[in-house]
Amino acid sequence: MEWIVLLISAVLLPIFPLSLIFNRLVATAPGPWGRALALLVLPQLGILLLYHTGPFLPLPVLGQRIWLMMVLFTAVFYAFRAVSAREISVWSRLSASSGLTLTWLLVASGSPVHLTQLFVLAWSVPAALLMIWAGLLSQRMGGAYLGLRGGLATELPRLSGLITVTALALVATPVFPGFFAMLQVFHLLSLSWLWPLLLLLMIWGWSIGKFLQDLLFGIYQGEPLTDIGGTVTSVGAGVLFLFALFGLVWSGLWIGN
Amino acid sequence: MDRKLTLGDRLKVRSMIYVAGEPIPRFWPMRTFIHHNPLFGLEHLPFPDAVEEGSRLFHGRGYLPRSHYQGYRAEGKVDDAALRRYLQGFLREQSVDLPGIDFEAWLWTIMTECRSERLVQASDWLDGEVLAAALQGRPAPELDETVLLERLRTVLGRKIASDGPLYDNIDRLFGTKIGDTLDELLVKSCLDFFDEGQSAWQAPSREKGFFASWKDVAQHNLRFTLLGLHLRELLASSESPESTIAHILHLLKIPEDHWQKYITRQLTRLHGWAGFIRFRSTAKHYYWAQQYPADLTDYLAVRMVLGLSLVQEAVRHYGCPGDAEALQQFVHDDPHGAYLRSELHVGTILPAWAQRVDDALARRSRSGYATLAKEYIQAKRTHEAERKTRVLRALAGRVGSGALSALQSLAPEQVAEFVNVLRRWERAEGFAWLRAMESHYITDLVRKVRLPEDHPKKRPFAQAFFCIDVRSEPIRRHLEALGDYQTFGIAGFFGVPIGFLEYGKGSEVHLCPAVQTPKNLIVEIPAELELEEEPLYGALEHVLHDIKSSVLSPFVAVEAVGLIFSLGLIGKTVAPVFYHETHGHLHAAKPVTRLLVDKLNAEQAGSIIRAVQRAMIVRALQRELGMHREHVTDDEIRELREIALGNLSGKSALANRLALTPEAEAEFIDKLRSVYRVDRYETSLQMERIARLGFSLDEQVHYVSNALLSTGLSQNFSRFVLMVGHESQTQNNPYESALDCGACGGGRGLPNARVICTMANKPEVRRRLLEKGIAIPEDTWFLPAVHNTTTDEITLHDLDLLPARHLLYLERLQNGLTAATRRTAAERMPTLGASQALAAEPIAAAALARRHAHDWSQVRPEWGLSRNLYGIIGGRHLTEGVDLQGRSFLQSYDYRLDPKGRFLENILSAPVVVGEWINLEHYFSTTDVHHYGSGSKAYHNVAGRFGVMTGNQSDLRTGLPIQSMYQEGKPYHEPVRLIALVEAPAGFVLAAVGRLPKVKALIMGGWLRVIVIDPEDDYRCLVLEEGEFQVHPESGRQYRQSLLEASA
Repeated sequence: MEWIVLLISAVLLPIFPLSLIFNRLVATAPGPWGRALALLVLPQLGILLLYHTGPFLPLPVLGQRIWLMMVLFTAVFYAFRAVSAREISVWSRLSASSGLTLTWLLVASGSPVHLTQLFVLAWSVPAALLMIWAGLLSQRMGGAYLGLRGGLATELPRLSGLITVTALALVATPVFPGFFAMLQVFHLLSLSWLWPLLLLLMIWGWSIGKFLQDLLFGIYQGEPLTDIGGTVTSVGAGVLFLFALFGLVWSGLWIGN
Repeated sequence: MDRKLTLGDRLKVRSMIYVAGEPIPRFWPMRTFIHHNPLFGLEHLPFPDAVEEGSRLFHGRGYLPRSHYQGYRAEGKVDDAALRRYLQGFLREQSVDLPGIDFEAWLWTIMTECRSERLVQASDWLDGEVLAAALQGRPAPELDETVLLERLRTVLGRKIASDGPLYDNIDRLFGTKIGDTLDELLVKSCLDFFDEGQSAWQAPSREKGFFASWKDVAQHNLRFTLLGLHLRELLASSESPESTIAHILHLLKIPEDHWQKYITRQLTRLHGWAGFIRFRSTAKHYYWAQQYPADLTDYLAVRMVLGLSLVQEAVRHYGCPGDAEALQQFVHDDPHGAYLRSELHVGTILPAWAQRVDDALARRSRSGYATLAKEYIQAKRTHEAERKTRVLRALAGRVGSGALSALQSLAPEQVAEFVNVLRRWERAEGFAWLRAMESHYITDLVRKVRLPEDHPKKRPFAQAFFCIDVRSEPIRRHLEALGDYQTFGIAGFFGVPIGFLEYGKGSEVHLCPAVQTPKNLIVEIPAELELEEEPLYGALEHVLHDIKSSVLSPFVAVEAVGLIFSLGLIGKTVAPVFYHETHGHLHAAKPVTRLLVDKLNAEQAGSIIRAVQRAMIVRALQRELGMHREHVTDDEIRELREIALGNLSGKSALANRLALTPEAEAEFIDKLRSVYRVDRYETSLQMERIARLGFSLDEQVHYVSNALLSTGLSQNFSRFVLMVGHESQTQNNPYESALDCGACGGGRGLPNARVICTMANKPEVRRRLLEKGIAIPEDTWFLPAVHNTTTDEITLHDLDLLPARHLLYLERLQNGLTAATRRTAAERMPTLGASQALAAEPIAAAALARRHAHDWSQVRPEWGLSRNLYGIIGGRHLTEGVDLQGRSFLQSYDYRLDPKGRFLENILSAPVVVGEWINLEHYFSTTDVHHYGSGSKAYHNVAGRFGVMTGNQSDLRTGLPIQSMYQEGKPYHEPVRLIALVEAPAGFVLAAVGRLPKVKALIMGGWLRVIVIDPEDDYRCLVLEEGEFQVHPESGRQYRQSLLEASA
């Protein structure tokens, strides 16, 4: 039974190769809101399963190492896959998979459930927001595949602004919770295991660079588009602001403790 | 493949490159920025055809977006009647008649009411059938499989052209970035080779030429190795650039009949660099080209070697086809996959399908491509039809009732014809707008010109010759309005082409139009004794500059002396005027100088050389032997000179006196020859150069009389005749010379002004002029001056030569000039974004203009020649008192003093052609600021001291920056062709034009508009329109008279 729980959790908190199922579930969710919901709910379900179905199966030392390697491999693998993704929801899903898999490190360290849930939200929230922004972009362009018609910065300044900030939040840019979540991960690992994390950060940097290049830069050459309204922009900006604020408070509490 | 080509083969490759390079305009270095027509190489074509060809070659647009023209129309700057006339003319040519369709109404509505750039764009799958179905609300009919495949092959034949560059096609099919990488590597290679002193470390063996030098370096280039480029093997056996090019074309299996087109596309890809190399290879006197030769063949060879190695790398990496034949086979074998690939990688795919196609291609399963492609094509067909239908329905609503139903009732082939007419009109529309705007401005000019009246001529207080430059117009107008001033317009080099060697400068600059090469050299020499020691501040500045430009010293010196630089930084930013004044005081002032204007005879030339050589020997004795002048006699110096020149042999008296060993004496003599250049060869070179010095008396008389007669001044000379050259004054501005005098080759006009004044003040010249009927009174003094176009200040020069009796009037003259300066600044500064209140505060306006000139953060210190529009060749009486808003080139001319039409020929073939270049440079920089212009100044970086690039690497930016053309996102320069008005009898003008084939071709090709105002035909204006002269209905004395009578 514990093995089954563990396997289901490995689907919901994606670890390669079960992460393929997680990605499939998110990709096939109906509409942007459905995908956003999937990104918010599935990992939380995974945590609940892990924490509420009994004691975590202790692994032998070799097993723990292999598990750790799988987690770090998954993180790096999905980050690397996101580099070549140009569709916003795909990029968001792959980047989220890369970050969410690190939750296992907290779980293995015996982190309290509420902290683990918050950790997961650090990746889920920006990924879910990106799904919604991708939906808004699809309404206007027919799809959210970037780099086809040139940069959107001048054509859709508000929407591309929201997408930019949210994407930065997803790759653990400072001020946002992802950054502080990464600090926790750094804190958990011994020095000899830090290099995969550094590699991960480098790939995220590469990935966001390419993403923003496709999103913002270049002369737009498509049909005229209508940007999102002031209300949606304000709500989006407000959510991102609260999200960043939450990250600061959380990090303060974590450092204080 | 045998790489050794015969001479014939090599010449064939060279000739292809020559032909391919013809459309690329030459690009002069920024130091001598020459305004040029970006489509100069296409001037043999009519204007609209050249615009289209330019669009194909350089991807630039030749007309503004429709919305801008609509804006001009709303401002009343478009002649509606002319616009409708052009539309009707277009429809007559089409001769299409569809039931119920009022084409004129449809096209007029598109033109005047639709804001979007293109309503009916070309699309892959749109046809009458699908459009008719969509208009009638039926689903889009599916294409039959055979038809689809046939059309697919047609579409692919266009998108993956067999004569297109291979790397371009690979990029389209595989999403590689070979084109971008190739450009980047090539630009880097060009920067290394063409550097003119900006880099601290130079590329090695540049004297061998571009290709040979690059070949040496490329085989050891780490970056190329890291990119996986295997150049060694490719370059090892390459001998000449021609054979390398031919070899690669064979290797890529480009059919020989496609070579010409292939080469053209390679060269036009970075046309800025190609244009610079073209200039360099034809500029015989260009120092850097002499030292480090390069031509387009070298450039193409480098490009093709890099391109081939990148393609080979892509073959290894992506498994894509490696030559043109294999690529076409690849497309032929799998057209569906090829189409999906090109749609995705070119970016024309429907965004909704992009990820699906991306996934399918990533799976590399060809079997699914055909089904996916069919589905996609149907979706795209439907999408295109729906989009077009939406547009047409909206348009029909604006056209009027019944328009939509008439459209819906058309048969599919009629719908296709309807759309074709709309598409053709949208291609022709820009030219119609352009002509309608010009028509408005032609009428405006015809209304504005004043017809001469007979008044008794009073002697003016001063006469001033200004450059024909549009920036002279406001100050001329203000100066004339102040009192008894009479002004004339003449090309800013005053018709005197000179090579000028400025005092303290090491090289000669050509101060004449770029199309001329001056025969005469003018040397500036100080009238005061030269100081041996460099002023302390200047020496310090040199040291700091050397530290800054060295490779290693900044690492150690930044803490030590970095703070010193901050003084300049703060000063230039916070108080630019104060900083520059203080900075100026610290530098030694330039001494009073004279120009060597007179030709020297052989005796004088020899004497000068002897004097220079003697000075060099004195210096050598002091430096090499520690002997000061007082210890050596003239005879001893003369003897040393003769020995150095090889005229004497044996031990010198000085060596005997100093008891120098024969070896020591020989060493000293060697130094005299090698270091101090006292030798026979150098002497003969100097004699050659001296032969170019100055002008003979005949030449002086010729130039002065030409300047006076061509501008119509042969009598009634005033006491002062000012020859006003012009220059600009800006900081931190690579385009500085673009603001200087175009007629002086992008240089400053003062030396030419000084030269012609020196000539005109000579009694001997005046005596000879009198024989020609030009009587210059004894009290007339020609005075050189310079007009600073940034501050509008006019500064008088050579005042120390002014006769004493003229000093009495000098204050009045200077007061007048100062007042004109202030009034002009008050007119000009509000147009540069300053407060409108400055229009009423001339002193404050002039102060602000001075600040602009010193402000290094100012991206627009002046508007330069922006908004240029007219070129008026005729008497000032036509425009005196008329506010032409600084938009007119004003060339003074009186046909009565030009019985053979020679002056008019000169004017038409030089100032008018240069005016046309200036005008079209501004025109195209406005219509396409990114391709013909140079984008934003904010991103510019100086490249190799000869050009600018956007960012750290790009094509050389050849046009004008957006800050010179646009204000707050709207064009400040209104892009219309130069409207040249000539005041002379029509037959006389036509005869002069007929004798000038180039000018005739320009006029008949529509590169400029021409109006002739005929003084012998009641001053009626003849406007050249589509190859025929038509009398403007609002011109002539009689018309003016009738207007007056009607108003009375």
